[in-house]
Amino acid sequence: MTIGVLIIAAFMIIPLVIGFFAATKSTKTSEDFFIQGRGMGAIAVFFTVAATWWSSFAFLGSNATFYTNGPVYLTALAWNLLFGFMYYWVGKRVWFLGKRFNYITASDLIGDFYNNEKLRIIVAGILLVFTIPYLQIQLTGGAYLIEVASGGVIPFWLSALMFYFIIVTYVWVGGIRAVAWTDIIYGALLFFGMMYAGYYISQHVGGPTGLFNGLLETSPEHLTLPGPLGAMGYPMWFSLFAVTAIGAFMGPQIWLRMYSVKSGKLFNLMPFLLGFAAIAYMGSLLAGFTGVLLEPGLANPDQILPVMLMEYAPFALASLILAAGAAAAMSTANSQIHAISTIVTMDIYKRYQNPKASQESIIKVGRWSLIVFSLIAYIMALVVPGVLVTIGIAALAGTAQLLIPTIGAISWRRAHPTAAIWGLVVSIAVVLLFTFIPVLKNPLGFHAGVWGLLINAILFVTISLALKRTDEEVVNRFDVARNDYNKAYHPELVEENHSDKKREAL
Amino acid sequence: MFQRYPTKKKVLYSLIILSFIVMETPLILLANTTEPFVLGMPFFLFWNLLWWFVLTALFLIGYLINWGSKESSETVIDES
Repeated sequence: MTIGVLIIAAFMIIPLVIGFFAATKSTKTSEDFFIQGRGMGAIAVFFTVAATWWSSFAFLGSNATFYTNGPVYLTALAWNLLFGFMYYWVGKRVWFLGKRFNYITASDLIGDFYNNEKLRIIVAGILLVFTIPYLQIQLTGGAYLIEVASGGVIPFWLSALMFYFIIVTYVWVGGIRAVAWTDIIYGALLFFGMMYAGYYISQHVGGPTGLFNGLLETSPEHLTLPGPLGAMGYPMWFSLFAVTAIGAFMGPQIWLRMYSVKSGKLFNLMPFLLGFAAIAYMGSLLAGFTGVLLEPGLANPDQILPVMLMEYAPFALASLILAAGAAAAMSTANSQIHAISTIVTMDIYKRYQNPKASQESIIKVGRWSLIVFSLIAYIMALVVPGVLVTIGIAALAGTAQLLIPTIGAISWRRAHPTAAIWGLVVSIAVVLLFTFIPVLKNPLGFHAGVWGLLINAILFVTISLALKRTDEEVVNRFDVARNDYNKAYHPELVEENHSDKKREAL
Repeated sequence: MFQRYPTKKKVLYSLIILSFIVMETPLILLANTTEPFVLGMPFFLFWNLLWWFVLTALFLIGYLINWGSKESSETVIDES
């Protein structure tokens, strides 16, 4: 017990030390606080993107899904690859435009390209509303783990509170630099924790081979779609793939991690690294499947890994692995709190309340909004129950809708603001209706988020083709920027004199 | 626009798209079986890991060949 508490204490203190150290490197500008002055290097970028992207959804939700629903979570291999590919293809272009036109948030890019204030507010609203539930599940997941790792000495409400106290403190002092540096430790801990936990637990049933043979005899439906409950067939396979990858990718915390990058070349290796890291899900698969043999019928599947570790592993090892799980939750939560505070500060306070705000007052508002929004998520974690994966997917389905206008902004000169607005408004309505109204839930088995994306894309393309943009100056400014992007990274695509003509027209 | 793409870029992107099609369209259901066990794994798991490996390798190749584009020069960004 004492060892468990000591490990948790170390886990709480180390990020604080890193946070305060990171603070000594910072300059007192808002750009430094929010996006590290666009100077983040390769190692920090990889770990902060990976650790932010992998949340308690990945660490606990994956085990729980393998345990209850069979192999549908294997689609995570493909969604990690898709996420990595989007980070390269979309992220690099977003980064380039961000650097060119000084963007910090998603609304900055979308609002500027579509030249529309309403759209800017809609984007900020979607990001705020749909990020908070996702933040809530990080807190719930992390607090479960601390509660179990301490042997129940630290109750759920207190572990959740401790969590937030630590995060708010180091983000307050160190901004995104503190988040990225702590994510290096969290990311490593998370990766090895997931792998080792699965491998260790599966040894109790004869290792991976013994496990699969055992399942084949006792519960073969765990090894193929649609799983033992018959609920997770192909439609969910595809839905999880699309909604998780796109929704997480469009989260405000990942937007900041596109803008923060120092050099465009850093994006090129990310698909490989992020895709490769997905192998850690094999740890979840082994742990979840072993649970089917060793602990069938658990009331709360999200607790399958903690429960098995406490029962079958030495206490110190179990606590260490659970700390890794808490790392998964914390590394996402810290980035989300930081990202939400960025939206409130830059998209609402600076743009509409006080456009001439000084650097000090911007950072001050950023810091106070950290506290307010983490408090909201804390209260939600205490009062709104739910299974991690279910809440997570619903939240991701909302943010995923931003991909359509974003692709329009980075690649299509005809993309029209009216099309973007209607696409977003209708698709968000579809997501909400198909999520919360039982008779309309998941038509044909596909998740609300997939229907939202489909309707969004159809509306976006048809309305854009039907209308014509009159703000030639903005369209040309982006044309020139996109052509410069190609000049820098895809010289074979550049049309002769294209950019120069447009530049002259400006 | 596509005719401007170098051949290696076309091949790379085609293989990437093909891998996603194999993994995420209903074609995946053709592999939705436990038998035969390969390398001690049920077939469905093996099949997914195989294509994960292929696609991860393609992403590494993508990095090594600069995603099929000519060498980039980042100086253009600073000039403009």
